[in-house]
Amino acid sequence: MTSITAYEAGASQLLMGNEAIARGALEAGLGFASAYPGNPSSEILGSLAEVAREMDIYAEWSVNEKVALEAAAAASFAGVRAIVAMKQNGLNVASDFLMNLNLTGTVAGLVLVVCDDPSGLSSTNEQDSRPAAKWAELPLLEPANSQEAKDMTKWAFELSEEIKNVCLVRSVTRVSHARGDVRLGEPMAPSREARFAPTTLGQFTPLLVPIKHSFLHQKVNKAREIFESSPFNWYTGPEKPELLIVTCGSGWNYSLEAVKALGLESSVGILKLGTTWPLPEKLVQQHLARTDKVLVVEEVNPFLEGNLKELVGDTFATLGPLTFYGKRSGHLPTFGELDPDRVMGALGSILGRERVAVEPDYAKKAQALTGSLVQARMIGFCAGCPHRATLWSVKNALKLDGRGGFVTGDIGCYTMGLGPTGFFQLKTVQAMGSGAGLACGFGKLDKLGFDQPVLTVCGDSTFFHAAIPALINGVYNQSNFTLIILDNSATAMTGFQPHPGTGASALGEPAPTVDPEGLCRSLGIRVEVADPFDLQDTTQKLLDLMQDDSGVRVLISRRKCALVRAKEEKPAYKVRVDTEKCRGESCGCARLCTRIFQCPGLVWDDETHTAKIDEVICTGCGVCADICPASAIIREVA
Amino acid sequence: MGLDVKGCRELQSEVLARDLCSLCGACVGMCPYLVTYRGRIVALDECDLREGRCYVFCPRTSLDLDLLSQTVLGVPYAADELGTVQEIALARASDEAVRSKAQFGGTVTALTSFALDQGLIDSAVLTTSDESILPSGILADNKTQIRDCAGSNFVAAPTLAAFNRESEGDIQRIGVVATPCQAQALAKMRASPLENRNNIDKLKLVIGLFCTWALRYEELARFLADKVPLGQIVRFDIPPPPANLFQVFTDSGRIDISLDEVRPFIRPTCDVCIDMTAEFADVSVGAAEGVEGWNTLIIRSDVGRELVEAARAKGVIETAPLPEQNLAHLKEASLLKKKRGLKKIIDTTGSDEDLLYLKLASEAVKGLLA
Repeated sequence: MTSITAYEAGASQLLMGNEAIARGALEAGLGFASAYPGNPSSEILGSLAEVAREMDIYAEWSVNEKVALEAAAAASFAGVRAIVAMKQNGLNVASDFLMNLNLTGTVAGLVLVVCDDPSGLSSTNEQDSRPAAKWAELPLLEPANSQEAKDMTKWAFELSEEIKNVCLVRSVTRVSHARGDVRLGEPMAPSREARFAPTTLGQFTPLLVPIKHSFLHQKVNKAREIFESSPFNWYTGPEKPELLIVTCGSGWNYSLEAVKALGLESSVGILKLGTTWPLPEKLVQQHLARTDKVLVVEEVNPFLEGNLKELVGDTFATLGPLTFYGKRSGHLPTFGELDPDRVMGALGSILGRERVAVEPDYAKKAQALTGSLVQARMIGFCAGCPHRATLWSVKNALKLDGRGGFVTGDIGCYTMGLGPTGFFQLKTVQAMGSGAGLACGFGKLDKLGFDQPVLTVCGDSTFFHAAIPALINGVYNQSNFTLIILDNSATAMTGFQPHPGTGASALGEPAPTVDPEGLCRSLGIRVEVADPFDLQDTTQKLLDLMQDDSGVRVLISRRKCALVRAKEEKPAYKVRVDTEKCRGESCGCARLCTRIFQCPGLVWDDETHTAKIDEVICTGCGVCADICPASAIIREVA
Repeated sequence: MGLDVKGCRELQSEVLARDLCSLCGACVGMCPYLVTYRGRIVALDECDLREGRCYVFCPRTSLDLDLLSQTVLGVPYAADELGTVQEIALARASDEAVRSKAQFGGTVTALTSFALDQGLIDSAVLTTSDESILPSGILADNKTQIRDCAGSNFVAAPTLAAFNRESEGDIQRIGVVATPCQAQALAKMRASPLENRNNIDKLKLVIGLFCTWALRYEELARFLADKVPLGQIVRFDIPPPPANLFQVFTDSGRIDISLDEVRPFIRPTCDVCIDMTAEFADVSVGAAEGVEGWNTLIIRSDVGRELVEAARAKGVIETAPLPEQNLAHLKEASLLKKKRGLKKIIDTTGSDEDLLYLKLASEAVKGLLA
């Protein structure tokens, strides 16, 4: 990955949307950046941290999104331009602060970037964050490609300073993770005169709420005025289109492609909005007046559609009747990602045109092209992943215990423990820290007839992010559960960002280490530490903790993420299968390793009817040797 | 008739889910799926095979009594009180030291040690208990180990798991001291139609134990733990009627518990069992009521007869005629168990055509119930 400062101003650089956002911030004279990692937003802070030393700016991975926003707001209060980035779920965590920050306002430009994940490709929901802008009454920008991502971010700082409030930039996976050419501008040095100096009494407090609220409305109106002439809104198409597409962000790309594929350039116009809240009403009305049919293309919720209809409702007398198509009419789906095919479907059905369909055997042809080079593999844990080993022991301990115990889950790689490679162990998955919170509740149901053991899991990063309050709640309210901290010394799911337990800062410099074990012990909790690769010991410790059956207990299952390990160490073992000993499909094994354990390093050989090791994938953890009932998997010290 | 062949799923639905498991251990120790834990069979993962040794070996699936009798004893099933009997007598170990450690006459300890001495077996699978009174199978290959396992055990033990596990090793000639259900399972292993066998050919001797029921570990342990630390328990005894007592011998003396308090812990499968005297063993050994320091010994197979005769000849055991009254009493008790078991089965299924797990000709059933 080339650094976002590698090229001079005026050059064109191929940048990922998130890198472009980071570059835009640098061009705006950014001084402070904070974030909690979460796909698809993680590369924003990642690429800023990479150049932080060179640019002499501050960048941190915060413990969670709320703290990240608070820290960034402090910079703004002190006159330093700041950016904070998070995924859609993170905005919920930050929203308590945000819903007060909007009233007190900001000083230097403060840009909050939220990256949504339509279809939940790497998320537990596909929440559309845009209504938060309306809710918090903050201006919202939606870039559609890398160039816009950079330019809008840069402009967002100016806008923020004009209205003295936070400016939201909303991206989606296909903008954040797509790459495109970006014409670079000049990076700007940040202000180095940081100082907190309120200019009015109670400036950064809610004094007096209704008055502050009325100021907020004024700020929104000012933003609307500015949006009326924003260069990020434009129209392409005929003067009087048969159909007007109003779109924003990724929807614009799909609309362009669909109109072109169907050859509708002369009959369909596209109004592309970059400033989607508050709507530039005059501009929008002017374009709506061109036609009597409007199709709204956006991801995920009918947010723009609803706001347009609100506007039309207010101005019905001037605009006259309009027919709206989109999500409410059923022409576009109200869930999942959009794509050109879906937009073509909507256009075809509105205008009575044949759609240009994807070849029906496209997927098969693609598979044939890749051939045996790409193995079909389900979503699951990597080879040598310590989570697989931990959940193997969890499964066995729960089965042995036999009292109907279960695991409440949390957010991280181990969320995949709800599927086959985690042996379906996670029975609930909601938000960061919710596994422990749910465990608190389950563990207090004894008076109501509940007698199942309660386990909950969270990763090391999730522990710091949101599990600690739930843990303290469990201790204080004398709940009854066992928290398993899956300590793999990384925020693995999002790309190995450091966190308070890793001993490294966002810039890769040494940082104080917060020790989860010591923290738990200080709460008076019984803590055990296990190596998940020692299946027997981990299972026994889990059984002991579960059967302790009083108060809150913690098991720290500690093993470095296999991917981190692979970068730092040589494999511990060379693993092979003794095909003479392998029982394969017969009674006495029935393919335990490839059917149940399912490490991708183990593959079933259809010819010999035995398991074998895929030496390219195997990380040499050697755990499979312990589950083989025939001792046919041999591990030799590498 | 014959043995039905199904898989682990059916073992779970037909036996474990219906609480018919006797915890003999026959399904454990051959694969990674089934294990024992604190007196329960636990399926750790789902085995998808349609044919499994676990199902076929289980004494609570298709117990074809004729087939087993033919396989083990070479004669049809004697649908009478005591099964196939070549000889029945009082017996005891000649060695006073052996007798002193034993519950009754020490015959099992003496015969097992003798079989080892004679080379009939090179190891014996016996039952032992840990410090929390949890019983399990153990492999013994010397007299001291055998003597350490002496004494009655009233808690169901998955002893055959040890047979399955240990028979994988280098040992070649194994003897097993088995409860009736365990002897049935061993007979089913011998009669199994499956190509994939365990190491049943290494089985050279089965010494059966009389048994009327066995207790569930977890419930009993929980019950006793309220009275005495489990680690202090040395052994249990049930003195002859009409005492109606369950005696717990501890480091600090004896605790007498009414048998009625312990009966709820009897495994439900014992209520549908029709074998009190281990009818598929080479020899069966039990108490001799009213004859202090002696056992009742039943010789069933030729292997059993040869062993007993040699042991008698070498003076390892002494035998004496079983008093008529004892024989009558034993027959009565055994028949009563069969009748109760059959009645319970028929009550459960609602038909004398469906005997749950038993495969037994209807004339034989009628004969036993008459």
